[in-house]
Amino acid sequence: MKSKIKYILPVLFLLVVTFSKITFASGPTKAENFKLKDYNGKEYQLSDFKSSKATVIMFIATQCPVSNAYNTRMAQLYADYKDKGVAFLGINSNVQESVDEIKDHAKSNKLDFVILKDNKNVIADKFDASFTPEIYVLNGSSEILYHGRIDDSRRESDVKTKDLRATLDEILSGKKVSVSETKAFGCTIKRSK
Amino acid sequence: MKRILSLFIIILLFNSADIFPQQSGKITVETIDKAKLTKLIKDRKGKILFLNLWATWCVPCREEFPSIVKLADEMKDVEFVGISVDFPDEVDTEIIPFLKLNKVNFTNYVNGFSGDEELINALDKNWNGALPATFIFDVKGNKKVFLSGSKSYDEFKKEIQKALTQPSPQRRGL
Repeated sequence: MKSKIKYILPVLFLLVVTFSKITFASGPTKAENFKLKDYNGKEYQLSDFKSSKATVIMFIATQCPVSNAYNTRMAQLYADYKDKGVAFLGINSNVQESVDEIKDHAKSNKLDFVILKDNKNVIADKFDASFTPEIYVLNGSSEILYHGRIDDSRRESDVKTKDLRATLDEILSGKKVSVSETKAFGCTIKRSK
Repeated sequence: MKRILSLFIIILLFNSADIFPQQSGKITVETIDKAKLTKLIKDRKGKILFLNLWATWCVPCREEFPSIVKLADEMKDVEFVGISVDFPDEVDTEIIPFLKLNKVNFTNYVNGFSGDEELINALDKNWNGALPATFIFDVKGNKKVFLSGSKSYDEFKKEIQKALTQPSPQRRGL
């Protein structure tokens, strides 16, 4: 028995180490509740959207050309899904982008969804978000069902897979999200030092 | 008079690359796919590889680029390579003008993978695509360093020196 334990313990240790690495690499699986103010100073918290069928959190920017390439697509997504029970929350965590700049940018690009200012990138840190545009889709229990890109090309004419739309359609039709993680190039979120 | 004219022509010839940078044809940017990337990493020829992923639209990439050019000038025992993730049809309009502006002294490619995700995963499955990103491979093609985000000249130099002195582990592929 003692000799068996000798072998089992290192194996268990390796499993724990491997598992913890995987968890770390893939980021959090559930979002904590948070409070942030939008560009008009109105406070929102994640739990306000508990009753939504899905909440789309979009880390966005005003100065990032990739995020800006998606402005029209983000506005269209909001228009297409807001009446279907999907909530949209834009979050700006870039230290150099002011509340006034975010307000002007939202107005000129017709981004009608709530956009929150994440001072000192506290929420970006909690999500482990690192670039813009970076998307998280949550259910009512704040579980992260999808993390990644809006679609597979910053150039709209080259898009082959509309990943965020596919995810929302699956959730709305009661299906399991088939692709929970995608990747794309984006602008690094400029954090406060 | 003839001598002056000859001298003028010689000076003009020597400086033609700077006067007519677009016509000099010195900078070329080819596409890179999985096969080329694998070959690049494997064919070390005794040098470590400093691989920087960048884009002309990426402000921190543009900011750190001069440091890489400076290091490439100084460290001849390191192969410096850049991969731009701009579109291949932006080579002439965006990429080459940026490289010329920075007086680039190392090879640069443009992403020729079928999708961004394929390139990201080919380099590191734990990398989420945030730019800039830098990888250092040792002389055996083993990945030694992954740097996410913009770095300074000193930070790059420190990581390169570390990679130059570290012993190589067993090869694990890309």
